[in-house]
Amino acid sequence: MTRIRRGMRAASVVAGIGIVAVLAAGCRGGGDTPSESGSSAPSPGITDTSVALGITTPLSGATAGPGTCTVAGITAYFGAKNADGGIEFGDGKTRTVEINALDDGYDPQKAKANFDQLKDKVFAMTSGLGTPTNRAYREAAIADEVPQVLIQTGDPIFSNQQESPWQLGFVPIYQNEGEAFGKLLASSSENHTVAILAQNDDYGEGYVEGFKKGIEGASNITIAKELTYEATDTTVDAQLTELASTKADVFFNAMSITPLVISALQKAQEINWLPSWFLPSNTSSPGAILEPGGASAFPGVYTVAFAQSASAPTFADSEEGKTFLADLKEYADYPDVPAFPHCVWSYQIGAVLDQVFQKMTEPTRDNFMEALRSIKDYVAPLMLEGSSVDTTVDGQPAVSSVIVQKYNGKGYATADTWE
Amino acid sequence: MSSAASLVQKPWVRWASLAVLVVLLLVIPLLFDATTNATLARIGVFAVAVLGLNVVMGYTGQVSLGQIFFLGLGAYVTAYGVSQDWNIVLVFILACLIPAVAGLLIALAAARLGGLAIAMVTIALPIVGVPLAKRLSEFTGGSQGVSAQFSDAPDWSGLADDQWQLYLVILIGGITFLLTRNLVHGKYGRAFAIVKGNEAVASSMGISPYRYKVLAFTVASLIGGVSGFLYMVVIQYTSPETMSFAHSIQLLASMVIGGAGSILGSVLGGAYYVLVPQLTNIIDPNLTALLQGAILLLVLFVLPGGLVSLPRLWRRRRGKGSGTSPSPLPAPTSEDTVSIALGSRGSTPPPPTPPTESEERQDT
Repeated sequence: MTRIRRGMRAASVVAGIGIVAVLAAGCRGGGDTPSESGSSAPSPGITDTSVALGITTPLSGATAGPGTCTVAGITAYFGAKNADGGIEFGDGKTRTVEINALDDGYDPQKAKANFDQLKDKVFAMTSGLGTPTNRAYREAAIADEVPQVLIQTGDPIFSNQQESPWQLGFVPIYQNEGEAFGKLLASSSENHTVAILAQNDDYGEGYVEGFKKGIEGASNITIAKELTYEATDTTVDAQLTELASTKADVFFNAMSITPLVISALQKAQEINWLPSWFLPSNTSSPGAILEPGGASAFPGVYTVAFAQSASAPTFADSEEGKTFLADLKEYADYPDVPAFPHCVWSYQIGAVLDQVFQKMTEPTRDNFMEALRSIKDYVAPLMLEGSSVDTTVDGQPAVSSVIVQKYNGKGYATADTWE
Repeated sequence: MSSAASLVQKPWVRWASLAVLVVLLLVIPLLFDATTNATLARIGVFAVAVLGLNVVMGYTGQVSLGQIFFLGLGAYVTAYGVSQDWNIVLVFILACLIPAVAGLLIALAAARLGGLAIAMVTIALPIVGVPLAKRLSEFTGGSQGVSAQFSDAPDWSGLADDQWQLYLVILIGGITFLLTRNLVHGKYGRAFAIVKGNEAVASSMGISPYRYKVLAFTVASLIGGVSGFLYMVVIQYTSPETMSFAHSIQLLASMVIGGAGSILGSVLGGAYYVLVPQLTNIIDPNLTALLQGAILLLVLFVLPGGLVSLPRLWRRRRGKGSGTSPSPLPAPTSEDTVSIALGSRGSTPPPPTPPTESEERQDT
């Protein structure tokens, strides 16, 4: 009896390993397209008639909403282009663009697995959302020389060419946002005192660093007090009371947590401190944050943006907005007006890649990276006036010019000067 | 069936199959392409994590929902050690010891509570771990995470990186599996099974449930640390997201699907953890969560004992079909497996090895 059991166990271990191996081998699903050696041969994922792009992004879990948008926008853009016959590349060939998107659930480990699965099938990785997930395969992408470009993270490491030769971020880094607001404030004709509250991590530090750069040399701005809070804090009442005692007329609040922003807006009103506010782009939604926080009580609430908001009332009437929404519905199976800006961003990523493809003279990844780093002053669809794509500056993402916006009680309008 | 059974009970067959297994493990990294090797290595990583969970849950019956925390801790210790240029052997030892000590301290308090309380305490681990990792940015790199590349193949080996990494996983994971197998099949395993079965009975036999719960939890944490080290070998990057609570639940589901209280089940659980997301991605990346839920339900309905009970089920079917019943094992649950294993070694009662400590025998 014992022997049978032992024998069966040993046999089943062997069988199990075999099953696992077979499963794993099956999983590569014919993924290894033989890459003909020779440097001038086309890179994987590109033929004379088509090019494949890979995306790993959260399509399930807590960040599935924005994650779905990172695929929908670019799928809509290239869906429309493919329907018109494709994109004419710089080498004279017309290719259609195919999107291979995989779900990573915002798990770094799965993102790396997805990259492993895609790297031999796709020409480049793009558009994926998330700092940890993109970081998880950054080094592997460098080692395998696979472009990981126009990704949606504000982490500056992806825009540093020394550290990330095969990468480029798309959305502005935190510093860009803080700096834009600092510059606007410095241009004011009056004197201002500023109170700063920042999240105690790379996010808050990035904003404050940018803001200080923006007001550098401006004699009319003084920083009265600078405090931090932890991302795990449930209240910042103590910090607000302390900052209010400085009677600062401008409050720079680098905060990424929605409920905290709302309660901070309310608390400031309670203690009758009514400065002008700055809020980061991801925590400045009119409907979700400013209205519940009663933001109209303040003389001004500012944020920054580079793309039009699809939820703005004028959006659906504009020519570009109409095309965007129609393409989204027809080619990306996304019938609603997107609640997340990532759909517009991802659409713009498609447009930037379109420009890059038109500049490519060889179907290689090297040539692609070269073309990618040569886009300047390109105004992508749905961009705000004054914002543009510039990939030529080392240390900056593709979009680094952001426009300061002021809350007008309903939505945002561009603020050219400090009033 | 009977001829097959008589075949497998011959010692040389067992040794031969063991040899085949070893040879397979040695040859596999050389056979496949890089992607498959990376997938196999990831399976190894999570098989070890599931194995740790099995020690505390499958074998000892204590609900632990925080196993991913120890994986994350081990990964962070590894990343920090590598960034400080410590000797890699020292890093490995620390990556095992620090989670083990953390597990020990938590278990000393939590095991006294017993029952559902230990589950609640372990829930807190990943929930506290994520913000803690974000806050201790000088060690953890904050929310941006930390990379550590130390597992690239050395030049003398002549191997590719993925082959080298898979060998490391097979070696370290293999030793971990072997040691754990010996642990749970030895006197400690019998004690675990009795604690799982009935704590009052355990106490009456002189087996302190408290002691063995703490021991199981500590061992599970240590194995979690090993899997964290292997995680860094394969993924080379960790961030607070690594130890998010959802992953802990996925590990738990993988353990149940693979087969609770089973060594082979841990391997199958690791394979499930890694392969199912890839599989659902192939089917439809927009429906991964739904499909994973459906697969989970399907497996549990068809195979309540987990994937590991598949051969048993098949054997039972065969037995019924031919009218004979050469193997009267009634698709045992994990608990039964251990007790049957106990019985098969000559039905002596488990030796009351640990000295009875009256102050520890509470609630009994």
